[in-house]
Amino acid sequence: MADELDPVIHAQARLRVVATLAPFAPGDSISFPRLQKLLDMTAGNLSTHLRKLEEADYVAVTKTHEGRVPATYVALTPTGRRAFEAYTEQLRALLG
Amino acid sequence: MNEQETDRERDDLAPDPAAALAIIERQRRQAALARPSNAVLFTVWGLAWLVGYGGMWLSGRHGEVSPASAIVFGACVLAGLVATFWHVRRRLHGVAGSGPRTGALFAGAWVVGYAAQGMTIGGLANAGASDDVVQLVANATGALVVGLLFLAGGMMWRSPGMYGLGAWMCLVAGAAALVGLPGSYLVMALAGGGGMLVAGALEALLQPGARRG
Repeated sequence: MADELDPVIHAQARLRVVATLAPFAPGDSISFPRLQKLLDMTAGNLSTHLRKLEEADYVAVTKTHEGRVPATYVALTPTGRRAFEAYTEQLRALLG
Repeated sequence: MNEQETDRERDDLAPDPAAALAIIERQRRQAALARPSNAVLFTVWGLAWLVGYGGMWLSGRHGEVSPASAIVFGACVLAGLVATFWHVRRRLHGVAGSGPRTGALFAGAWVVGYAAQGMTIGGLANAGASDDVVQLVANATGALVVGLLFLAGGMMWRSPGMYGLGAWMCLVAGAAALVGLPGSYLVMALAGGGGMLVAGALEALLQPGARRG
């Protein structure tokens, strides 16, 4: 069905994740702990939803090092950004 | 059913369209907390200018500007720099990419702008410009650097508030030179500092998400 809302985004927790990442400029990424703080989610919970979003190629999770400390950065992919925009438009259309 | 399972079920719940839009709006405001706030920065510098230039005007309105008021001015600028650094660092903590890079280039533009302003003032003083001329040029170029950089920042970040304040500060620069001394300091304090405070208040009212911290 063409009108069906994207099931990857259309779940409370994942919508919150995507909506938090979307306002950042394309190419910007945010560290896992900072994202967790902005979302007020547990690390395990956030990981679970990030995995689902990563499987759909909506977010990119990059593991890197800051000095010797491992760091994880999360960003919306171009696919994720398009999907979020389409989803938002659909919502607006549904609400008239 | 344990608590974790309840959480998981709530997480996977599909919100109705109105609730979904509300979530998007709420998270947009949360994400704004990972960007420096114009409201906070305009207010910080508005206060620094109001107090710093206000003190210069009070001390200089019947003659020479006192060294004490120059020290207060210096302390205001220093406090503004510390507050700006602290705020930007806190807001951008854990953010990487083009956004922070652009911000660093913007910060560099301020350093270069004010270094050039200091050199210009020094050059004029060396060439025998009177104290009055040096003070007027210092005020006008001080406001002009702010004005031009806010115009640029407003264009870069598509921020009408920053662009509008930039245009205003350019006019303040011109007025600060035209009115002569000691009124120049009053223009800097009230139109300059006051203008930044008004712009900060407008930003806070129009973009409440970016207000905190």
